[in-house]
Amino acid sequence: MRYIVTAFLFLLAGGVEALLMRLQLSFPNNPMLGPDKYNQIFTVHGSNMMFLFAVPVMEGMGVWLVPLMLGTRNVAFPRLNAFGYWMYLIGGLLLYVGLFTNTGPDAGWFAYTPLSGPQFSPGKRVDIWAQMITFTEISAMCVATELAVTILKMRAPGMSLNRIPMYCWAMLVQSAMVLFAMPAVMVASNVFLLTDRTIGTHFSNPAEGGDPLLYQHIFWFFGHPEVYIIFIPALGMVSAIVAAHSRRSIFGYPAMVLSLVATAFIGFGLWVHHMFATGLPQIGEAYFTAASMMIGITSGVQIFCWIATLWTGRVRLNTAMHFVLGFIFIFVMGGLTGIMLAAIPIDLQVHDTYFVVAHFHYVLIGGALFPLFGGFHHWFPKFTGRMINERLGKVSFWVLFLGFNLTFFPMHLLRLKGMPRRVYTYSPEMHWTAANGMATAGALIILIGGILFIVNVISSRRSGPIAGANPWDAGSLEWAADSPPAPYNFAFLPGAVSRYPLWSDPADRVVVTGMRNDRREILVTETVSGEPRFRHVLPGSRIWPLLTALLATAGLVGSIFYFQWYYIGAVLTAIGLIGWFWPKEPVEIEP
Amino acid sequence: MSVPFIAALQQSAIAPVGPQAGRIAFLFWSFLILLTCVFLLTIGFTLWALSRHHRGIEQEPLERTHRPSAATDARMTRAIGAATVVTVLILFGLLIASVVTGEQLAGLRYASNAMAVEITGNQWWWEIRYLSDNTRRILRTANELHIPVGRPVMIRGTSHDVIHSFWAPNLHGKRDLIPSRITTEWIEADQPGQYRGQCAEFCGLQHAHMALWVIAEPQEKFDAWFEAQLQPAAPPEDAHLQAGEQAFLSSSCVLCHTIRGTDAAGQVAPDLTHLASRLTIAAGTLPNNKGNLGGWIADPQTIKPGNHMATVALKSEDVQPLLDYLESLH
Amino acid sequence: MAFIEGSLFCCLIAMYFYYRLGTFPWPPPGVQLPSRLLPACCMTLLLLSCIGSYLASEAARKGDRKGMIWGMGLNLALAIAAMTCRAIDWRLWNFKWTTGVYGSITWAIVWIHTLDVLGDLVYTAVLALLVLLGNVGPRQRIGVHADSVVWYFLVAIWVPLYVTVYWVPYFWGANG
Repeated sequence: MRYIVTAFLFLLAGGVEALLMRLQLSFPNNPMLGPDKYNQIFTVHGSNMMFLFAVPVMEGMGVWLVPLMLGTRNVAFPRLNAFGYWMYLIGGLLLYVGLFTNTGPDAGWFAYTPLSGPQFSPGKRVDIWAQMITFTEISAMCVATELAVTILKMRAPGMSLNRIPMYCWAMLVQSAMVLFAMPAVMVASNVFLLTDRTIGTHFSNPAEGGDPLLYQHIFWFFGHPEVYIIFIPALGMVSAIVAAHSRRSIFGYPAMVLSLVATAFIGFGLWVHHMFATGLPQIGEAYFTAASMMIGITSGVQIFCWIATLWTGRVRLNTAMHFVLGFIFIFVMGGLTGIMLAAIPIDLQVHDTYFVVAHFHYVLIGGALFPLFGGFHHWFPKFTGRMINERLGKVSFWVLFLGFNLTFFPMHLLRLKGMPRRVYTYSPEMHWTAANGMATAGALIILIGGILFIVNVISSRRSGPIAGANPWDAGSLEWAADSPPAPYNFAFLPGAVSRYPLWSDPADRVVVTGMRNDRREILVTETVSGEPRFRHVLPGSRIWPLLTALLATAGLVGSIFYFQWYYIGAVLTAIGLIGWFWPKEPVEIEP
Repeated sequence: MSVPFIAALQQSAIAPVGPQAGRIAFLFWSFLILLTCVFLLTIGFTLWALSRHHRGIEQEPLERTHRPSAATDARMTRAIGAATVVTVLILFGLLIASVVTGEQLAGLRYASNAMAVEITGNQWWWEIRYLSDNTRRILRTANELHIPVGRPVMIRGTSHDVIHSFWAPNLHGKRDLIPSRITTEWIEADQPGQYRGQCAEFCGLQHAHMALWVIAEPQEKFDAWFEAQLQPAAPPEDAHLQAGEQAFLSSSCVLCHTIRGTDAAGQVAPDLTHLASRLTIAAGTLPNNKGNLGGWIADPQTIKPGNHMATVALKSEDVQPLLDYLESLH
Repeated sequence: MAFIEGSLFCCLIAMYFYYRLGTFPWPPPGVQLPSRLLPACCMTLLLLSCIGSYLASEAARKGDRKGMIWGMGLNLALAIAAMTCRAIDWRLWNFKWTTGVYGSITWAIVWIHTLDVLGDLVYTAVLALLVLLGNVGPRQRIGVHADSVVWYFLVAIWVPLYVTVYWVPYFWGANG
């Protein structure tokens, strides 16, 4: 839960940065922000949204929802979860401390060398960026590990692999992607950048055999899966919402699961499409065009299945469904501009222009943020025990939808007029003023929509009508718990007899009896079949995760200044970990 | 030879003036039209799914099983299967179109009469060298690229510092300029005109102010321009201009700039030998006239904060002669 | 864990070959290639130390406290010997990580692997201490088992890294 609130705060911060950028660009030669400040702001906006908001909020929703959907009490490694949270918070604070002390990174959210290297970015700015990445990647990897283990080993008895909800499939696939992709960005940021900048290695120094292009390869090997890491959980959420509000099971469960897995696999083979302008050999590039287009097939299959679900269901058009429909509209448009970008000749014209900015905001906001907001509205009764105000919800949806399109659609046109990215101002002869003005107006409308949403959340929380356990009459297990769920989620762990257990005949539903309720016990199950194997006791709250995080922080932050702090930090962290795992009292496990 | 500062449908990829940009624009419009149809179809089906009209087909109760009948499922499966096949075919077609266009773009390299130009990106200006086997005919200039109409030009790109990107959208897509690597691109203009380009890879503080002009002229005009550019600067005729030349040579300008025909031979800043023949100064930031030039020299950091040009301390009586001298360098 | 570290080392190996393809001569002039004797000793010792891990994890399965201690002890002893070989080898290298990209990537690969090994050694040592002090509960036994799996992984991943760093420059000559 802390993850979600913190991520939301970072969303607001990123939104402020976006507004600043839009205000700066609203008319030509605007003296409001100089190039230095603007460069810092757009770098932090991108880094904030990608690393401090998008991934953590999806992870946070997963940590909250997955145990509920699987019918268990908590994630597999709660202390690891706490450690991950502290690392995330500290990393985010590090970035903002940098920004507010005018040491914010200013080389773009992907910090290409050699611009970000020691020669052209002196000072600590880029080092702060690199270490912020370390923090957030460690956090993401912790959560991914525990989610994967939870989904594989801690399900309700009888929930075999082909009965787990689509959202859990999405989180499983996403966790696997995180574990493969995040190390690459650690290599890029730490090995490449940080060592080049602090101890004089030559990874990106062409004079000594290094290569700036290799940085791009390694960064984008992470960077492209990163956007799918953000996007795949959202796909899971859409499935959950569509199933509940069409009152039927999702059409084509095997096809949907295979699409998710295929998206993940193909997503790892696309990275060069960010580098088409660098003059790589044409044959290789053609492969990446093909792969980038292929991924449209997997997403397409999912959209077709959802349309089929809507077609044959009894649709309840509440706010959550509005957001899903908004998702379909915006994401499909973004995906189609993506297909355009996949074609190398077109990409050569639109790369690094506002067309790309429009494309990725369409797919990220449409593809991840809208489902997320839909998810907030859908699970609001479960979070808080009260129903959210539908009318205000729908109004906030329309404001956000219209504001979003007003902001980002003109950007497609801006690129047709030749506006490149990351420019802090432009001259009036370029005729970019009108479109930029529209975009700024749209941004202000988005702000209003966001405010409406927050007002809705607060007022509904206080005075909305009480929701029962299952106000939507949905089928998955989280709706069997109380609203809001007790810290132990379920008094009696439920069993699962089908994909949508709550839609099964009430006579067939089962619960588990015989577990102790004086300590934190959960059931560990077989990976594939879901048969229970043994009980396991989860640890309680401890101070060690926080302490270890602080010790690790000392090492990582210190290494920005002196490389030796890496070693000191490693020793400190080891001490923290030893304390963490030192056994407290003897424990037994009963079969 | 000051030319009026023109900006029409400038810097636009959909106003192609050469075969490269033309092929890309054609591909772009094809994609756009096709994919817009796909989009409208998808949204249409979604909205239709929500409307009540189709409910005449299926009214089976869902409450007990939350699944429709097997027949409906089968029908849906067929529909989705068909849609998937159509998607695959469309994407395949787009892929072929893209690869074919790529081949066409690369075809320009087989032209026999291509001219070679080397463009080196610097923070935040463009160094342009017309290559030749005869070393006396290698022309070094800056920020403005003249090319003859109807002749392919091979751009050899590299960079002195960070990654830049050469982009003149009316002519072709962009090509990154990467330090220690050579990237190549072939462009050709089919109509005379002035086309604006801009750096398209974030390169630091003044990325926003790194533009260049591509001037396409008929071959004879180009040849005349080229010959004039190869000449060193004419010595100043009158005392006023000579005073200006002296002001230039005795200030710190010579540490960075070159004026061929004088002792100034700095290599790290634009070549000023024929400064007055250019449309703009400061890499496309300002129109080239005496007022702007004066403002630029007096305080470059206000116009382009963070750029590498130092503020030169000039005696006030030197300013006018210097400006007149520089504006005489046609 | 295997995912993460495996992904990391695959990245490093890919980087090594990428640089090798683009840089002549390899290694740069003035750099002497590391000798292969000490690393071979190190490799052998690492492989032998897996025996210790295996014994420890078998003992853990049976709940045999003495067996666990002996197994972990053997593992630690051989691993420390292996790292000593490596440390001696480093002192004989005549290049640092600032000696061109060859130095950078070679040091990076070997050093990151060493850090992982050291981390696991600490883990093993702490576990051995716990078992010595009498904690032989299920958690410790699982810990010993997990420790041996991690150790197998670290040794296994060292094989391709070892070949890349120490053998490839010999076979894939100095030029081209």
